[in-house]
Amino acid sequence: MSLLTLTGVSKSFAGRQVVNDLSFSVNPQTIFGFIGQNGAGKTTTMKMILGLLAVDEGEIKVNGEPVRFGQTPTNRYIGYLSDVPEFYGFMTPAEYLALCGKITGMTAATYKRRSSELLELVGLSKVNQRIQGFSRGMKQRLGIAQALLNDPLLLICDEPTSALDPVGRKEVLELLLLVKKHTTVVFSTHILSDVERICDQMAFLHQGRIVRSGTLQQIKAAHHTNGLKLEILFDSESDRERFKTLFPDSQASAPCKISLDRQTEADMLDILRILTEHRLPARRIERLEPSLEDLFTEMVRE
Amino acid sequence: MRQLTALIGKEGLEVIRTGKATILLLVFIVFGILNPAIAKLTPWMFALMSESMAGMGLSASEIQVNALTSWAQFYKNAPIVLIVFLLLFAGILTHERIKGTLINLVAKGLSRWAIIAAKGIVLVACWSVGYWLYYGITYGYTAYFWDNGAASHLVFSAFCLYMTGVWLISLILPMSIFFGSGSAVMLGVGGLFAVVYVIGLLPGAAPYLPTQLLDASTLIQGDGRLSEYAVAIGIALLWSVLNIGIAALLFKRQAL
Repeated sequence: MSLLTLTGVSKSFAGRQVVNDLSFSVNPQTIFGFIGQNGAGKTTTMKMILGLLAVDEGEIKVNGEPVRFGQTPTNRYIGYLSDVPEFYGFMTPAEYLALCGKITGMTAATYKRRSSELLELVGLSKVNQRIQGFSRGMKQRLGIAQALLNDPLLLICDEPTSALDPVGRKEVLELLLLVKKHTTVVFSTHILSDVERICDQMAFLHQGRIVRSGTLQQIKAAHHTNGLKLEILFDSESDRERFKTLFPDSQASAPCKISLDRQTEADMLDILRILTEHRLPARRIERLEPSLEDLFTEMVRE
Repeated sequence: MRQLTALIGKEGLEVIRTGKATILLLVFIVFGILNPAIAKLTPWMFALMSESMAGMGLSASEIQVNALTSWAQFYKNAPIVLIVFLLLFAGILTHERIKGTLINLVAKGLSRWAIIAAKGIVLVACWSVGYWLYYGITYGYTAYFWDNGAASHLVFSAFCLYMTGVWLISLILPMSIFFGSGSAVMLGVGGLFAVVYVIGLLPGAAPYLPTQLLDASTLIQGDGRLSEYAVAIGIALLWSVLNIGIAALLFKRQAL
């Protein structure tokens, strides 16, 4: 059974459709990447899953139970980490986790044990200062600790790495990989390298709709059916210019380098034949694997 | 219930650690001392003024002060401490909504009713502690200098003013649902008070409005009857409870 299911979910603000007929499901113990540009509807979708925003149409289920706006018993299954989590600056991390523990109905012994384990995990166990002096990275790590405090079945992270420096990003991604053993993670981002690094499944959101979803391999395979990209390295720029006269649709990508898109493997063989016929020596011919960024750019363009 | 007690603890800690408790205590203590101090210093200030007035050809007779003078100051200064209180706490909910601090907790299943109830309880508790401290200090110093027996129905008239405060403070919560900042909430509370005050000017309306309780200061001089304020006390209490209920109901449907 899927842990999270969205069926035909739509949401608009002041007449502007932000999420449009969104349907997807997330299997247990996976990391699901929810990818989209700023304003694509990622945060709105996450807030609807948390019952913080009302759904205009459709249904959301967490662990088989429907989510209801304003009454959020399904949140007992969920841990939430926002892009820039906000805490009470007058509290210490341990005090904040104790407050979260009491709210979620944990016993004093349990939340004390969990909070010391999690503060150790996120590297804040020796920090006794109040949260008001925390850096963004420290806040993000405390955010992970609070989100995992009650051992949630589902961890929802809304752009958890967008406000962090490379070291902070690496730390957060490693933590997410670590928690995947016990918890399902839904992870929204526009940083595609993060998705490639940790996500098992992904969905591309554009203008409130899912334009493609699946595993990274499935998405790349689907892209292959749309054609292939070649990059050719020549010995000199004059050779490159000769090639360009033969293939006007090719594009110079670097000195002595040119790239071009073709539909089939036969087209690729044609290129090799023409290179031979015109005695045009190429130092290297490479069939490029599309990066997630290429795929995303292409999908957005479509 | 566990969520409510946890949140009351958090609100209490916030009041202490953000310095609001210190400011409140200082204001209530200073004004509590100021009431009898002003009464005590009035003859001396009057004598000073008489000398300069004599220079202008005006004469003034000697002024007599007693416990009633001190209590008159108590009622004059009470609106100031109430305004300071409202200024300190007007942003109690809007600040959290703007900053987003409630999102983590609501995402953990915190009931929105508990948020409003905890804030309501802490607001009334702070007002109660501060106001009765203000009353107690004035009472103590006034008793030291004069005889409080000169003032009638002291506790009852002070209770009327206390209830006016409870009513105004409880308005902060529903106003916080409609407005997005502490200053807007403050204006909303002030605006509603003005509207109720103006309605109270209509013939026969005053006894049914919380603003009637402001007139209870005349009771200490022996004017008026206690029963004239009974309905207004009941209405202030009912309206305060309704304020919290309405705020909880509206907050439940508010996007965070």
